[in-house]
Amino acid sequence: MLFIFKSVQIRLAVALIAMALVVIACTASAKNEPYFGKTKPPEGQVLRYVSGSEPESLDPQIGTGQPEARIYMALYDGLCEYDPKTAGPIPSIAESWEPNQDNSEFVFHLRKNARFSNGDPITAQDFLYSFRRALSPELAARYAYIAYYIKYAEAYNNGSVFVRDPRTGEFLLERDFSEPADNSSNNETVSTPSGAALATESSAQNTPFHEYIHSPTRVTLPGDQAGRAKALAKNAKLKAAVEGKEFVPVKAEDIGVEAVDDYTLRVTLGQRAPFFISLMPHQLFRAVHRKTIERFHEAWTQPGNIVTSGAFKVEAWVPYDRLVVVRDPMFWDAARVQLSKIIFYPLQDNTTIMNLYKAGAVDAVQNHSVPASWLDHVRSLRDYMGAPEVTTEYYQFNTTKKPMDDVRVRRAFNMSINKVALAEWRKVAIPWAGLTPKGIFPGYPQPAGEGYDPQKAKQLLAEAGYRDASGNYDPKKFPVDQVELTTNSEGSNVQIAEFIQAQWKQNLGITIPIKSMEFKTFLVYRANLEYKGIARSGWVGDYMDPNTFLNIFTTRTGDNGTGWYDPKYVAMINEANSMLDSQKRLQLLAQAEAYLLDAQPIIPLFSASTNWTKKPYVKGMYPNPQTLHPWKYVYIEYDTSKWDQGVPDMTPGGAD
Amino acid sequence: MLSFVIRRVIIIVPMLLIIVTVTWALIRLAPGNFYTGEKKLPAAIEQNLKQKYGLDKPWYVQYGRMIKNFARGDFGSSLKYEGQTVNAILARTLPVSVTLGLLAYLLALIVGITSGTLAALKQNSWSDYSSMALAMLGISVPNFVLGPLLVLVFSLTFYWLPPALWGGFPSIHLILPVITLSAIYMAYIARLTRSGMLEVLRSDYIRTARAKGLSERDVIVKHALRGGLLPVVSFSGPALAFLITGTVVVEKVFALPGLGNYFINACFNRDEPLIIGVVAFIAIAVLVFNLLVDISYAFFDPRIRY
Repeated sequence: MLFIFKSVQIRLAVALIAMALVVIACTASAKNEPYFGKTKPPEGQVLRYVSGSEPESLDPQIGTGQPEARIYMALYDGLCEYDPKTAGPIPSIAESWEPNQDNSEFVFHLRKNARFSNGDPITAQDFLYSFRRALSPELAARYAYIAYYIKYAEAYNNGSVFVRDPRTGEFLLERDFSEPADNSSNNETVSTPSGAALATESSAQNTPFHEYIHSPTRVTLPGDQAGRAKALAKNAKLKAAVEGKEFVPVKAEDIGVEAVDDYTLRVTLGQRAPFFISLMPHQLFRAVHRKTIERFHEAWTQPGNIVTSGAFKVEAWVPYDRLVVVRDPMFWDAARVQLSKIIFYPLQDNTTIMNLYKAGAVDAVQNHSVPASWLDHVRSLRDYMGAPEVTTEYYQFNTTKKPMDDVRVRRAFNMSINKVALAEWRKVAIPWAGLTPKGIFPGYPQPAGEGYDPQKAKQLLAEAGYRDASGNYDPKKFPVDQVELTTNSEGSNVQIAEFIQAQWKQNLGITIPIKSMEFKTFLVYRANLEYKGIARSGWVGDYMDPNTFLNIFTTRTGDNGTGWYDPKYVAMINEANSMLDSQKRLQLLAQAEAYLLDAQPIIPLFSASTNWTKKPYVKGMYPNPQTLHPWKYVYIEYDTSKWDQGVPDMTPGGAD
Repeated sequence: MLSFVIRRVIIIVPMLLIIVTVTWALIRLAPGNFYTGEKKLPAAIEQNLKQKYGLDKPWYVQYGRMIKNFARGDFGSSLKYEGQTVNAILARTLPVSVTLGLLAYLLALIVGITSGTLAALKQNSWSDYSSMALAMLGISVPNFVLGPLLVLVFSLTFYWLPPALWGGFPSIHLILPVITLSAIYMAYIARLTRSGMLEVLRSDYIRTARAKGLSERDVIVKHALRGGLLPVVSFSGPALAFLITGTVVVEKVFALPGLGNYFINACFNRDEPLIIGVVAFIAIAVLVFNLLVDISYAFFDPRIRY
């Protein structure tokens, strides 16, 4: 008896100690302050930034994520840079550029004072090397596919061959063997609008290479025997023509990139791509130093070896700890650069990140950093950076299996989710029923998709055959055992799935089971269309154009993952992208999106908000749609009267 | 004794081989690859990657290569972090984990043994209850709660200590992670010491020692402690091996560049060479520390012979 009494006392004491600690912490932090934590700027124009997960490499053509992109933007410069406010392309090493008449060729005029960190000049030859390297099969860059718009780039990257007649030296040409357009074999669509010859005129001088690249497109076939046999089996005429011909591998020199002179770079595409310029600030296209790479191979990115082309250069790098970069006096625009040093912290744990931020150990953090439970407090403060992001979160249907092969069922499932309620509950979401994120592409007449309408949903399901004798919707008839909501378990995905499960239960009277999986296991499961019914998905735009979203569904395989494929949709996208008038093009793209939303292979859920924080003294940094910051514009403001009092002015050209 | 040690060392080799093989097979069985991401790669790019890293070879060739690398003590290059060798990663992260682990264990030993001994000597007294209460708190509050709680109080409320990041050794950055890491070990050691001591203090040879007229201090320090600490010693082997090979939670909460963080991310990234390297290293550490513990038994308990 005595013992029990004592142990209760012990437990009470323990609980009291723990509670006292919590109470101390809570009372002290509840003070009414305009900013989150300390606001003492670091000395000497140093920025301490949380860049996200550990960079895969300091090689801009290897790393694929946003965290890497942020670091590459300090270390490497490209033809174009991201605009700090809109994330659109602005001139950088290329002072200017002009497309040809139909947006199938771009000529870049390089500035003459651009230099690498070792003092070597950056010329068109360096970009020629960088582009070719990005596409080389040996490097195996994972982002190589975004350069596939360049003529023969995909053929070079996937080891294809040209077909040459050994006697005449002539190559087989595509126009002689054209098949009906089918993009199903490609991942990222690269298709020439059939019949439309691309324009040849260009502002730079004509050269033998230019004539070659504008000669009629050659036939390319897979480099390996098996793949080639398969491709030839589909085209009897081509198979007959290949007899007795030799196969010539597509080489780096064959792709549509040319250094016309030291300061003129000409890029020829295999199709019309008005959005191509939007891709140019991407890390894949930034300048790397050939001599360094050829000397050190994989170790070229180690401190001591590395040569860079951006506003900053590497001072120290301790993986999983920090990357320190310092202002590079060799940088062509060094006069503009105000920060003397940036310390990138590769951190992922949001609580740790925000702890460091609050304690004043870091000055700004990456997007999606504020944990949901902190949002109510932090969102009301002046250093919170919330703005629309170029991402969409959606659920996708497996349209190859019953019952989701019926568009009425798909529409019903979409209509019975209250997305406004979902967004309110998520706090950092913008309710949305379209594929492209809401309101970030200027001039794009975005279709809105179908809204919340549970009555109509039931009616649609009744029409689809799930009805009782009197013709009314009957939830018991719906084959719940054939549908699962599959999601990966990371983050708040399971909670979102539960929310939506509840919506369907409430509005349709059916309980869809949730299946949650580890991320990579889930990705493989989803890509193989093994999932029953519905799977979670999301998309982060690669560039600032609706095409980066609409393109997902122009292929059967790849990122599509729904089994929905409609040649008419592909034709609509291709037609839009061949438009010379940009307003007309956007209109046609919007029509294509509306067509896609009508077929409802996906349930758009919400587009995200950037959701990060920066101290008021960090200036020149904006919550742009990609959370990519051109560091040369960023500086520390020591004059408190000039500090940001909220989200800074985001209008292009507006005051800082 | 010597033949015992030799036998134990020899057995380490097949055990390591089994551990590495099973790990390798498990990685193979897990769906996805190091390049699997939300955005699906075109087949051609996947093929390029497989060729680059030799993943297009038959499984026995890949297994052979892995074993060969392992035998030479060179685990190859990380797949996820291009240009970094596994050996370099181990060499860089290990000092961080060892520093943390050893400091935490040292703290745990000092506090744990002292409070455990005091508790045993004054059984059912106020000091016994209070130290056991603290021990219970240490065992029942997991470090992912304790860490953030300490940060909340000492870093975000009073702004005394940094909330995270690595500051090298010695630095004030170490204080919170070391306390967080050692709490549960401190508690275990206190309880183990207390029960060990209670048992020993009742044994015949202690009574004999007291009957010989030895001072109480000599009885405790020279006779009782050696026997009473045996449970702590057997606990120390695996605990130390675990501590110095990195602790995921503490490294994550305090953003420390140790081995644990790499290990957990390597698994999520399907970074085969790194996983094999870290697993092999942890296995060696566990086997070696257990061996050391077995040897040290002979010192703590003269009755044990090999």
